[in-house]
Amino acid sequence: MDQKKRILLAGAIMIVILGIVLGVDFLQRQQAAAQAPADMPPGSIPIFVDGGFVASFVPDDLSQLPAASFVDAEEGKTQDGWLLCDVLLFYLGEDNLQDQSQVTVSSSTREKSKTLTWAEVENKENNVLFDLAGRGTLKLVSTIPGFDIRDSWIQDVDKIEITSP
Amino acid sequence: MKQRYFSTFQLILLALFSALVIVAKIALRTPLQMSGHSGIFWMAIIIVGARVVPKLGASSIIGVTSGLLASFLGLGDFGALNTFLSYAMVGISSDLMLWILHGNTDNAVIAVIVGIFGHLGKFLTKWLFGIITGAPIGFVALGLLRAFLSYVIFGALGGLLGWLTLQALKRAGFFAYLAEKR
Repeated sequence: MDQKKRILLAGAIMIVILGIVLGVDFLQRQQAAAQAPADMPPGSIPIFVDGGFVASFVPDDLSQLPAASFVDAEEGKTQDGWLLCDVLLFYLGEDNLQDQSQVTVSSSTREKSKTLTWAEVENKENNVLFDLAGRGTLKLVSTIPGFDIRDSWIQDVDKIEITSP
Repeated sequence: MKQRYFSTFQLILLALFSALVIVAKIALRTPLQMSGHSGIFWMAIIIVGARVVPKLGASSIIGVTSGLLASFLGLGDFGALNTFLSYAMVGISSDLMLWILHGNTDNAVIAVIVGIFGHLGKFLTKWLFGIITGAPIGFVALGLLRAFLSYVIFGALGGLLGWLTLQALKRAGFFAYLAEKR
């Protein structure tokens, strides 16, 4: 086989890999759509207030949220996305949120969760935001001392819960 | 006495390239906010390493060694195993592509293709890990396509940077010096 054919073969392999990745993603979305309620589209993050489902954080609304970012001290990487306070204010409004309200962001697959008060979330200096990870899932990051390193951050977020005092 | 596949000198060179991958990951920064942008640097290092030690398996050794170093240094967001396999796959898929193309990274086209596939190895590892661990579906539709293209572009740029580095090393007489050392 000459070099030209080998290069074409490499191109074909790349297209096959892309096809497999997108095909599996499409199938996963189809399966999730069949199981999920209409108000919880696949990939969305459900928001619960005092145990009751209120809304789903969906990508369609991202254009209405201001972008935010910070450079993490651990690896010097820029974490950018959308502030959790902007997301909650967009879907819930200020009436559902008081300074002492507990905001819990969790990932069922990673079995991790983090609970913060609304006052902590609302303080923009804390940079509590959702960063879009490379594989397309959301990661909760911040600069709050003790919640400012990778081990403590919540990857693959799939639920937001608010409990009132 | 049976001759070893890699000489001690070559293994030392490969270990140095592995360390260089980690240094690049930690120290070099780009203002680009796209997934996989660091691939520009480490694919360039793999491309150079694969030419300096022109044997099948050289890239894999760089990948596996840098993966071990990265895991012990706690790099990456998804745990040590994910980090190790991601780095290792960069080297293994680079080797696989060099084997398929029957060439070396002296050729710019081959360097770019090896850069792309080496970097895609990392993308595929992260993607497969997500599926195996039951990670939720991507928040943004077509987010995977964007990430895939990003890895392809930065892998290609890394391949090109590696090839340019090789040309500079050649002009500086590095390979003649290396031949004497062997």
